[in-house]
Amino acid sequence: MPLEPFKSSQPLTMGVELELQLVSLSDFDLTASSPDLLHLLSRKPFPGNVTPEITESMIEINSDVHTNHSELVSQLQLIRDTLVQAGEQLNIGICGGGTHPFQKWSDRRIFAKPRFKEVSELYGYLAKQFTIFGQHVHIGCASGDDALFLLHSLSRYVPHFIALSSSSPYVQGNDTLFNSARLNSVFAFPMSGRAPFMQRWSTFEHEYFSKMEHTGVIKSMKDFYWDIRPKPEFGTIELRVCDTPLTVERAAALAVYLQALCRYLLERREEAPAEDDYLVYNYNRFQACRFGLDGTLVHPKTYESLSLREDILTTLRKMEPHGAALGGTAGLQHLMQVTHEGSDAHYLRQQFDRSGSAEGMVDAAIQRFRGG
Amino acid sequence: MPDIQVIMTELGWPLAIALAWLSGELMHRWTRLPRISVYGLVGFLMAQALPAALSSGASSNVTMLANLAFGLILFEFGYRINLNWLRINPWIAVSGLAESAATFGVVYLISHLTGMPSLTSLLLASLAMSTSPAGVLRVINEEDSAGQVTERVLHLVAINCVLAVFVFKVVVGFWVFQTSGSLTQAVSHSLIELLVSAAMGAVLGFIVPAVLRRLGAIAQDGTIAFALGVILLVAMARAFDVSPVLATLTFGLAARHSRVAFSRTERNFGGIGELLTVLLFVFAVSTLEWERVVAGLGLGVVLLLARFVVKAAAVAAFSHAGGISWRKGLLTGIALSPMSVFVTLLLEQTKYMGIVLVDELAALAAMTLLLEVVGPIVTQRALIWANETPAKEEH
Repeated sequence: MPLEPFKSSQPLTMGVELELQLVSLSDFDLTASSPDLLHLLSRKPFPGNVTPEITESMIEINSDVHTNHSELVSQLQLIRDTLVQAGEQLNIGICGGGTHPFQKWSDRRIFAKPRFKEVSELYGYLAKQFTIFGQHVHIGCASGDDALFLLHSLSRYVPHFIALSSSSPYVQGNDTLFNSARLNSVFAFPMSGRAPFMQRWSTFEHEYFSKMEHTGVIKSMKDFYWDIRPKPEFGTIELRVCDTPLTVERAAALAVYLQALCRYLLERREEAPAEDDYLVYNYNRFQACRFGLDGTLVHPKTYESLSLREDILTTLRKMEPHGAALGGTAGLQHLMQVTHEGSDAHYLRQQFDRSGSAEGMVDAAIQRFRGG
Repeated sequence: MPDIQVIMTELGWPLAIALAWLSGELMHRWTRLPRISVYGLVGFLMAQALPAALSSGASSNVTMLANLAFGLILFEFGYRINLNWLRINPWIAVSGLAESAATFGVVYLISHLTGMPSLTSLLLASLAMSTSPAGVLRVINEEDSAGQVTERVLHLVAINCVLAVFVFKVVVGFWVFQTSGSLTQAVSHSLIELLVSAAMGAVLGFIVPAVLRRLGAIAQDGTIAFALGVILLVAMARAFDVSPVLATLTFGLAARHSRVAFSRTERNFGGIGELLTVLLFVFAVSTLEWERVVAGLGLGVVLLLARFVVKAAAVAAFSHAGGISWRKGLLTGIALSPMSVFVTLLLEQTKYMGIVLVDELAALAAMTLLLEVVGPIVTQRALIWANETPAKEEH
């Protein structure tokens, strides 16, 4: 299948996808109940969209396309309330978080849909280990060239989103010491990582995509698991590094931060992106995954060491006029709060200490998702 | 050289359990039939071949162990019940009440029409309301099923067991008090007995997690502490002459809902739990005699079919309102088939009160045997048809 043309969309519009956990309220392990939940949800109109995911203990929801924070957050809250209510009726707990803290990957059941079965066969245990939960944010772009410009300019800010959204400290019952252990599972896939450095859509199409397609390694854009990837059929770029936060409010705030950043970058006042920016990319990303807000970055242009927390605060302040112009001030303030109070990963570790168990951590995540 | 009869009496139970377990493993591997069905079948055949070797009285060790095994299962069962769900989704409780009441009515009607005395019919009807928590939970764990049919079956079983114990006790109480003829006395006596059993379980359900928390052993396993709690509770229920079924069920419920701590126990209480389960299912049919089963087969089958249809229809009727498809609702009702273990233990408890229902009632013997073997298979099929079990080839 050749690459489809990049469909122009209204710049700086945004949409959010969230992968959510379905949890048994008896033992707090993941439970294969998405078919039942989807059945119940299909009876009434859903405020947004809900779809099955690769394992039956996961569902994905997505918002419509929005231009500002208040619309986005109210739709996400409406979606959440509908989900919580349906979950209650079926005795299913629903929560965010990038990983389930103690699920065993071998227990997962693959949702009956041909593509999922294929993926499962190809990747073996990786597919089940891929029982991880992420937030994807789409930002509308006027053209493919704009999309690639934003994609590469944003690479410097990828650690911000990892640290601010981090909510996956535990895997298979153990503290990983990472704040986002989820991304380690993504890196295991051959087509993960960064997109190749190309700034023109036509170059990307002819000198990269068609060659890759010719090798037979990939068939469509879907086969790339990049941190940020263009989505030509929507006319967007898609940021994929965020863990699903514990609340929809944080999910909306992250989207608004990305929206403001894109507005700022499109003014093209920053030094243009370069291939060499990626020299420090993997190191910075590791710092954000491992240490969260306490990580240290190397600036891709100046090579100076920066505290990740400080860098986020500086950037948030710089984004204030853009946030105000887009109606996203509340979202940026929410993230300002996160840099003071700590991320969801920090909150989850606190819950482990308080309750003494990983089950207590999941219970707290369920309560937090409900907004309680 | 000791007498062969003496040797067989000594070896009877260990041999029966070993044989039942081995057959269960082999049959499960070959046919994927539930292991407990095979335990029951082997147990019944052994009991027919060697009646003396597999005898048990109300106070024998085997009866005590069987009660303990049942207690462990009931604890695990209670731990999986979410009372809050019953409050949020009232249709679960409504279908449970409707299904139990309809079964009671229909079974009473049929047995009354066949000319049975009313008291016997009432007892039979109250027993038919129940579903065996042991059979259902074992199949669910064996199949590792998850989904609405699984969840709903668990909650419905809890509801109809509590109702069955209550009505059964009321009828027995009525029987005992028949001389004074006081129904209120019978009801209040049964109520008090149930309340005392529940209170015992509830108290322990708060104490054990609290102790675990104090010991700082929360992150570890609560298996031993909860097993000891069950042993204590079963012994206490015996000593105070109250219902061990309700006491252990409440123990699990309270341990879950008190939320003093989140504790983990091994499924089925690990290896020892599995062992006791084999004994339990062999025991449940060891009291049945072949002649009685044959004699009661006709009426037994009719009653079973009636119970099956009523339960399936009553649960299915409320499925849409309760938030699931008609198909899953029907499968939930169908999965409510097993009932034997519960009945046998309830009767065992009543034997020393002078009520020997199994011996009088051939139909009950046939029902118990059939449901012990067939019930778990039906539950298993229902779970598979509902797509709530993982496909085998993925392992």
